[in-house]
Amino acid sequence: MSVAELKERHMAAAETVNSLKERLKQKRLLLLDTDVARYARSQGQTRVSFGLTDLVCCRTLQGHTGKVYSMDWTPEKNRIVSASQDGRLIVWNALTSQKTHAIKLPCAWVMTCAFSPSGQSVACGGLDSMCSIFNLNSQTDKDGNLPVSRVLSGHKGYVSSCQYVPDEDTHLITASGDQTCVLWDITTGLRTSVFGGEFQSGHTADVLSVSINGSNSRMFISGSCDSTARLWDTRVASRAVRTFHGHEGDVNTVKFFPDGHRFGSGSDDGTCRLFDIRTGHQLQEYNQQHDDNEAPHVTSIAFSTSGRLLFAGYTNGDCYVWDTLLAEVVLNLGKLQNSHDSRISCLGLSADGSALCTGSWDSNLKIWAFGGHRRVH
Amino acid sequence: MSDLKTNGSAPPSLPPPQPRSPPHLHGKRRELSRAQMLEREIGFLDEELKSLESIPPASRSCKEVAEFVTGNVDPLIPTIKKTRKSWRFWKWFCGACCFDFSCICCRGCSCNLSMPRCCDCMTCNSCGNPCRNCGIPACQCFPCCSSKCFKKWKCSLNCCCCCVPKRPCCPPCSCTRCTCYPKCPNLNMCSCCNKSCCFPCYYCM
Repeated sequence: MSVAELKERHMAAAETVNSLKERLKQKRLLLLDTDVARYARSQGQTRVSFGLTDLVCCRTLQGHTGKVYSMDWTPEKNRIVSASQDGRLIVWNALTSQKTHAIKLPCAWVMTCAFSPSGQSVACGGLDSMCSIFNLNSQTDKDGNLPVSRVLSGHKGYVSSCQYVPDEDTHLITASGDQTCVLWDITTGLRTSVFGGEFQSGHTADVLSVSINGSNSRMFISGSCDSTARLWDTRVASRAVRTFHGHEGDVNTVKFFPDGHRFGSGSDDGTCRLFDIRTGHQLQEYNQQHDDNEAPHVTSIAFSTSGRLLFAGYTNGDCYVWDTLLAEVVLNLGKLQNSHDSRISCLGLSADGSALCTGSWDSNLKIWAFGGHRRVH
Repeated sequence: MSDLKTNGSAPPSLPPPQPRSPPHLHGKRRELSRAQMLEREIGFLDEELKSLESIPPASRSCKEVAEFVTGNVDPLIPTIKKTRKSWRFWKWFCGACCFDFSCICCRGCSCNLSMPRCCDCMTCNSCGNPCRNCGIPACQCFPCCSSKCFKKWKCSLNCCCCCVPKRPCCPPCSCTRCTCYPKCPNLNMCSCCNKSCCFPCYYCM
């Protein structure tokens, strides 16, 4: 076949793909008989009500000298690791605000960090296209720096996001600007599986975020600049299980819903969405109307333990607390006392769900906890 | 190139050789790969279209979401307010002293509390003792995130071992780095040792 004939074949296939995508979109619309908010209202649900002192900033973690880009809690104890433009990882005791480790990175351009399930190691990645692992119990070198215990190299683009596989200190998943996600065996430093890429079906632009299902660690979601989120099964790297369309801009952040059957996403289109992984339906859109044309982008999201609250950080410093059932904003942490002065770049909930940590371009992290009243048992 | 002259028996002159254009192998492979990827995508989309015939509508998933959410407790969601008389005094006392009525401090309640602003100093980590700086009873105010502690009163006799500073009930210090010289006036206190710790002070780096 000549190049010209191949180009024609390619064009014809592209047209068929677009036509099929449109048919899929129309068919899905017919199945969207309601959304979560309409259903919840029909059941008489009332919105969550927060008083001014119900969710308060009870700690400000100061120490970074540059923008905070990423943070992660330990699965068990109250420690946080954060990554910053200043080229360091800091490990904090969230209760006391003390720093237990300050790790100077070989490559200052870090974008993501994660705590291992045991809390013994941290991982980070960034513009060096590698994922570096540090054992927190290692001896420091003569300069007082913690040595890198393992380097995971193989990506052909920046590492935008990383997460350890739950309950496995030896495996983690990275997302990359090379349009792939990779499952790594940390013990050997080798890639176990590559999801997407040049010769496999997958994302068609940079992958920005990854979230592993806490109920079934074989499944994970990725979010990409191609405006889609994709569900992957780690046993099948050749193609995504499902692709979720709907967003109209880069999908910057994805996070599984606590029940493991749904996930949330946040995008440059200013919206968060809730998708069902089994059916592919978009169950809800979380979109705050803005007077001006430019809606701030969603940078990071997290669900509360019950899933009733969706925390969403935005580029304008807002941190909305959404009532996920009624799709209403019930609180804006960005307008509370002691809030951040700049963009919220990352956020995450502690393992037991009693505290939220936000990280910001103002170089601080803040811990938010419930300061109100509860039913006494 | 000049025309070649031939006599009558000579074969007709051939056109002058032309330089050959470079082979399009790289472009061909790329185009073939792209076409194959799209054709594969067509197969996946066809599969998905067929699967929609048997997928339930969104309302079923919405119901599942609502049931899950309403059936689970959430530490961050306010519920029914119930204040005991004895707590109201502490709430008023701490609120009056703290100059910041957004902070709630009460002794002996099972709430997760925030530290009053005026007690925001290291000495107030000592549970139960008045702050040496401001004299206000130190609040048992750290949100204790351990699942063991969630409903326990911080620093009561049944304190959990995530309290700071460590109580007698707590495991021994496992910090291996307390060779203890201060690096700079802003010391990092190692929470497990109660000593000035020897890792570099972050402010000086």
